[in-house]
Amino acid sequence: MPVIGISVKQLSDLLGQPITSENLSDTLEYLGCDVDGMGKTIIYQCPKCSLFIEKQEHEEAPKRCTQCDYEEEKPFNSVDEEETIRLDLLPARPDLFDAGGLARTLKGYLGIEKGLAEFSLAPAQLEVFVSEELQKPDNYRPHIACAIVHMPEIDSKLLRTIMKLQENLHWGIGRDRKLASIGIYDLDTISGPITYKAVAPEELSFCPLGNANEKMTPKQILTEHTKGKAYAHLLEKSTKYPLLIDSKDQVLSLPPIINSEETRVKEGSKNLFIDVTGLTKTDVHKSLNTLVSSLVELGGSVELVKMVNGDKKTITPDLALRRIKINAERARKWLGINFTIPQFKELLEKMRFRVDGRFPNYEIYYPAFRTDIKHEVDIFEDLGIAYGYHNIKPKMVETMTVAQARPEELLSETARQVMVGLDCNEIMSLMLTTEANHFTKLQLTPGDDHAVIQNPKLVEHNIVRCHLMTGILESFAKNKRKPMPQKFFELGNVVHVGNDNHDTKSWEERRLCFAITGPKASYAEIRSYVDGILAELGWEGSYKVSTHPSFIEGRCAEVETKNGNIVLGEIHPQVIVNFGLTNPIALAEIPLAVLFK
Amino acid sequence: MSTQITKEQYQLFTIVADTNKISIKQLCEKTNVEQPMVMGTMTFAQSEGWVEIEEFKRQELLPTSEAQELVEKGLAERKFLTVLQQNNNSLTMQDVAKHAKQNNLSMGDIMKWGMLRGWFKKNAQSLDLTEEGSKAISEDAHDEKALKIAIVKGSVFLDELDGIDSGYVEKLLRRRGELAKLKERTVRYITMTEAGKAALPSLKVEEEQVNLLTPEDIASGRFREIKLRPYDITEKADIKVPVKCHPLQKIIQETRRTFLEMGFLETVSPHLDTGLWDFDALFQPQDHPSRDMQDTFYMKKPQFGDLPNKELVERISKTHEDGGETGSSGWGYKWDSEEAKRMVLRTHTTASSIRYLSENPNPPSKVFCVGRVFRNETISFKHLPEFHQVDGIVADKNASLCSLLGTLQAFYRKMGFEKVKFKPSFFPYTEPSAEVFVWMEQKSCWIELGGSGIFRPEVTVPLGCNVPVMAWGLGLERLAMLRYGISDIRTLYGSDLDWLQEAKLCQ
Repeated sequence: MPVIGISVKQLSDLLGQPITSENLSDTLEYLGCDVDGMGKTIIYQCPKCSLFIEKQEHEEAPKRCTQCDYEEEKPFNSVDEEETIRLDLLPARPDLFDAGGLARTLKGYLGIEKGLAEFSLAPAQLEVFVSEELQKPDNYRPHIACAIVHMPEIDSKLLRTIMKLQENLHWGIGRDRKLASIGIYDLDTISGPITYKAVAPEELSFCPLGNANEKMTPKQILTEHTKGKAYAHLLEKSTKYPLLIDSKDQVLSLPPIINSEETRVKEGSKNLFIDVTGLTKTDVHKSLNTLVSSLVELGGSVELVKMVNGDKKTITPDLALRRIKINAERARKWLGINFTIPQFKELLEKMRFRVDGRFPNYEIYYPAFRTDIKHEVDIFEDLGIAYGYHNIKPKMVETMTVAQARPEELLSETARQVMVGLDCNEIMSLMLTTEANHFTKLQLTPGDDHAVIQNPKLVEHNIVRCHLMTGILESFAKNKRKPMPQKFFELGNVVHVGNDNHDTKSWEERRLCFAITGPKASYAEIRSYVDGILAELGWEGSYKVSTHPSFIEGRCAEVETKNGNIVLGEIHPQVIVNFGLTNPIALAEIPLAVLFK
Repeated sequence: MSTQITKEQYQLFTIVADTNKISIKQLCEKTNVEQPMVMGTMTFAQSEGWVEIEEFKRQELLPTSEAQELVEKGLAERKFLTVLQQNNNSLTMQDVAKHAKQNNLSMGDIMKWGMLRGWFKKNAQSLDLTEEGSKAISEDAHDEKALKIAIVKGSVFLDELDGIDSGYVEKLLRRRGELAKLKERTVRYITMTEAGKAALPSLKVEEEQVNLLTPEDIASGRFREIKLRPYDITEKADIKVPVKCHPLQKIIQETRRTFLEMGFLETVSPHLDTGLWDFDALFQPQDHPSRDMQDTFYMKKPQFGDLPNKELVERISKTHEDGGETGSSGWGYKWDSEEAKRMVLRTHTTASSIRYLSENPNPPSKVFCVGRVFRNETISFKHLPEFHQVDGIVADKNASLCSLLGTLQAFYRKMGFEKVKFKPSFFPYTEPSAEVFVWMEQKSCWIELGGSGIFRPEVTVPLGCNVPVMAWGLGLERLAMLRYGISDIRTLYGSDLDWLQEAKLCQ
């Protein structure tokens, strides 16, 4: 999970009052943030494309730019440093990804400002035309939403905050720009109206961010530019690429890859044009609403934008308040806290909601970016957080219930006791293995009854075990240089495929496997162990000659029961060699069900 | 009054008096007296001022039972000396591997030990014989010499080997368990003081003191006449390590017992399950990142499973789409039953709690499940593709956030963590959610040890359960690593015999 560093000073400025690091850290934890600690962050800047790169104090200074690939022998110069509090980003709450959003929430929690953070919206003047072509299935990114935000003059600190928020939203909502990606431009370099259209890979060219002197076609960007190459996979299925362009044919960006150098936001910029394009409407609007609402906290004011899609006209961002009804009695029960009536309003306002209605039925108004709210229980949780988990006096549910262990586990416990009594060490091996280790090495032919994985990251894990012999033999291999004899056992589940009576088309059984290795390991020895176990668990069996490719012919036996077969014998020398071992091995595998009376 | 001593003690003192300096071990060998007895006598003599005891730490080389054969056969890197020499002192790495295989020599041994000895040098593409290496062909290395002596004598102290570089021997044999073990021994030397020599003639030897109690002594009643000599009971003995259950299994059993003692019913669900039980029934949208191929193992065989009864599927599907009858707004997408049929290796044991609830929706119920869960991860010291989780639920008309915290506090206290605290958290299927932190006294810090919450109505209502359901779970490997002080999760499944035996059951 990414970690963000939030400047403590910037946060204090936004709160309008100083806050100690300790108080800040506690409050954020009460809110559910994962505080990673405090530290100094040093800011470096790429001399070529002016990208800001943040590093923690103990990290090495960068020598290479992640945007334009520019590289120097010596590390880049640092331009600033600040005390930061480091937080793990909460994917569920993108509205807490930046100083602005955090300040809004903290103001409520600390009692500096309560209720909804409301702001006015200037009417739409700018139009954005959306081409029909982008709605076609082979031309990617059908959804777009835009906004204009007028900021106080942007200094380097604010610029960094905005860039960082954009990057974090790409991660938190956009899934690395796939579902939604954000473009931010200096409005004063753009002449409206703007068109969102599809272009052929080599239809035109523009200077991508960081390359002020070199015009490139979309195709060149995707094959040659660092960012282009990094995100080319997002457009690989498209025959044409999405493009934002203004009325004077000035390219704004090639979403979701890169913006143009000419429209770049710089120190001193004041007015921002913002677009979010993407695959799903929800994520596009969520990204825009979250970003715009945070910019307001950072001093901005919002102007609407008119989106024209054929005959259909919409206004974005859609910041209309959302509403949900809650029942206060249910909240009391759900949380187990006996809130007083005034407390409801007080606590909910603390969490920056507007509360209407009378006890016990309230209507809660919440901002558009809180898309995590789907049900009244989501409001209950905020009530609980506002009250403070640390203030809750834990108590127990008093209902009487009767405990019951699973019979299979009880039998496993007994089997484990018997095995330890027989001087065998317990091992635990992984259930995931390969056909080579599970069948070939044991001279077995893979059949149809083992489970196969479709997408393993490691080739060592492409099937699920259907017997326990591999784990035991691999354990011997790991201890082949330790004193002999060695005795191991494992109790575990194996999986078989091919039972249509089960909804999972597979079935499992618990097995006990144990083995002895050493110069004197023999059938006689393992047989006496099996006899011992069977006697202990109240069972007698009759042994029959068996042929099993993993065992020596004539030294392998089987005990048939209605609940499965026990196999025991001396392991075939070729199998021993296949596992890189040299000592004889005697092994037995028992389905635990056999031992049920 | 003169001190009474036994015959054996007298014998011991006489030997010490006659020798300039003698070790405890030599004394035992010469007299056939047991070591605790010898030690006890000498400690007593020291307190009387009769002898001085000097202690030395010495390294004892103990060859393994296989060592003789391995040394006689020739160590892999020694045999390879000749191979390299016959090939003009140099071979490409590929050829090294080929020759190693032909001669049935371990490539790892050749490289590791050969390089460490400075016999071979690895250049860009080749392995070359060094000058030292060619010298070594005709002469045993120090460790081989030492080992041969030790094999003959049973064991040898490094410092008693003349002309052998003990540092070299230690370097080579310290980590080569198949050949020998190096054990640090404390050796004690006894010298008699002048006072001792003076006192010796005046000591009175007592006749009837006995060391060993025999069955005959007991049967004949002679034990009444003899005096059994006291031992030095502070003397160290070799540890007898018990065979035991797997250390992780111990934690699993403790966890199970904790739940059982709290009145929970144990349940189970298959390791291979449908996406419906693992995700959909938990209100995880079908495009949720955790359902990604990157994180979840999907099955090729069996590829699809069956869905439960139509009504339940319909309720789950509606809940995803628009909230259905749960009072939720849902996710607002078109739910796909094919996606829910896909078989996965379960990603959490919560799937079994949910299966239980669907069959037993009426409260009260308290259920738990311990089992393996799977994540499509590569292997590292921090991650394994499978690990154990425990999951518990309480469905009760009085279940609430407050009683969740109370139950968790009781649970973690029973698990041995006296101080517990809670912090709000965010999980997709619980609301509210809390993370549990326990205070680790040894490390003086709070450690996160599990997640919890109250199931969203979007989870419980479609199952037919209309009371709040508290749920919590934790990973057991993490607990095991804290308990046994290990930093690499692979140790738990590595089956290393030494670790299995050394991990303390009471920890």
